[in-house]
Amino acid sequence: MFLTRSEYDRGVNTFSPEGRLFQGGTSRICYRGNQGKREIALDICLNINDGECFVFLQLGSTTVGVRTPEGVVLGVEKRVQSPLLESSTIEKIVEIDTHLGCAMSGLTADARTMIDHARVTAQNHAFTYDEPIKVESVTQAVCDLALRFGESVHDEDAMMSRPFGVALLIAGTDENGPQLFHTDPSGTFMRYDAKAIGSGSEAAQAELQDKWHTRMTLREAQILTLRILKQVMEEKLDQHNVQLAQVTKDNGFQILNETELRSVIEEM
Amino acid sequence: MQRQFNPYTENGGTILAIAGADFAVIAGDTRQTEGFNIQTRYAPKVFRLTDKAVLAVNGFAADGNMFVKKVKQRLEWYRHAHAKDMPLRAIARLIQTMLYAQRFFPYYVYNILGGIEDDGSGAVYSFDPVGSYERETCRAAGAAQQLVQPFLDNQIYFKNQVPPPGVAGGHPTHLPLDRVLSIVTDSFTSATERHIEVGDGLELYVVLAKGRSPQGLEGLRAAHVREVTGHTDGERVFVINQELKKD
Repeated sequence: MFLTRSEYDRGVNTFSPEGRLFQGGTSRICYRGNQGKREIALDICLNINDGECFVFLQLGSTTVGVRTPEGVVLGVEKRVQSPLLESSTIEKIVEIDTHLGCAMSGLTADARTMIDHARVTAQNHAFTYDEPIKVESVTQAVCDLALRFGESVHDEDAMMSRPFGVALLIAGTDENGPQLFHTDPSGTFMRYDAKAIGSGSEAAQAELQDKWHTRMTLREAQILTLRILKQVMEEKLDQHNVQLAQVTKDNGFQILNETELRSVIEEM
Repeated sequence: MQRQFNPYTENGGTILAIAGADFAVIAGDTRQTEGFNIQTRYAPKVFRLTDKAVLAVNGFAADGNMFVKKVKQRLEWYRHAHAKDMPLRAIARLIQTMLYAQRFFPYYVYNILGGIEDDGSGAVYSFDPVGSYERETCRAAGAAQQLVQPFLDNQIYFKNQVPPPGVAGGHPTHLPLDRVLSIVTDSFTSATERHIEVGDGLELYVVLAKGRSPQGLEGLRAAHVREVTGHTDGERVFVINQELKKD
């Protein structure tokens, strides 16, 4: 389509007079990353010209979030690539604050920057206002980072070379009850009752749409999360290759330990 | 002998706040002085921040006005970022951080914050100029603090009073609105008599918890009472203006 280079295709953040963003002759900004030895290719395509940003996180591990009136459940598949790998060192669910947790899919190293920002934002809020930050506010804070890539102008702070290659499910409770938010590399965030991201997300999302209901208990949500992960996983699901966490009003964020996880798996 | 610029002035006046079970009263006189001179007979020291929070500032008027302006700005930013009004205890903490940020060139201001907490109870928070704060039932500050606070200790906290024999439960923890209003007006008329920097006018804010009837306000002359509530079906805020002696 755009075979000749124009003056507006040199930077990712330079608009043409028609209001379009060009780079490399297409209207898409594409980045390809590798994760681990297995050459897991990951394409982030921000199609900025269509109001909405489409993001293809093709091969992140499957991550599921389910909201219930009692709390939110997060579940991830931990791909144990080698029998010599210590599966407990794969960390894909982390705490942001006592009332906030986060599960990730994609380039998990990129999530460090975002989670660090989320934690600092949450602590600063508690320090300044003597109250826990709202789930939506912390999500917004994380998304504010998303588009700080490209080329920086002279005298400006250095920017990131590429967009974040990770999508997050942010779970938490606040005065509006338990909530689940999904953020993607474009910086868009949306609230969901149940959401699946990563490689198995299509099948998982269809299953969630089928099985999720408004009066689900926390236990039902835990079982549903595991069942969905089991369906989309290649290996046999056990307490070493999945991780479950929950955020409830009374106990805040908790990662389920092996015993608790085993009891859910047995009940499944 | 060395001359030095003194960045601070003491502008007199007194402020006072009392919390009820489901209301708060925040008041201040309107005289502003410098030494023996009256700069103006109407300089407000009490400000509505939100429908549930009212802030009284006393000390150096320029600092006080700037401080209120900055607090209001922070409240607007908070509204934009979090899509709600800042709760009272969050405002109290914010005021602490804002005051302490100026630890080595303080706002020469004593703040009293009054209003309604998220649980619907009336609350008063008092601050020193560098941000130490405390939630209390009542507090007076400013030029006539030494005159008014002992009176409040006696009338609100029942200090040095023995409960009459045979009365069950002892002293009440909260007084009704009409009683609080008369204690406030009496405090200011007395302070006006005995302190040269207090007088001219009394500006009094009443914050009522959500759903509370305005019972207790009807004893006042309607001409003096003005409702300044922002949103309906929440807390309600009223301003009452009364005259104080001008001599």
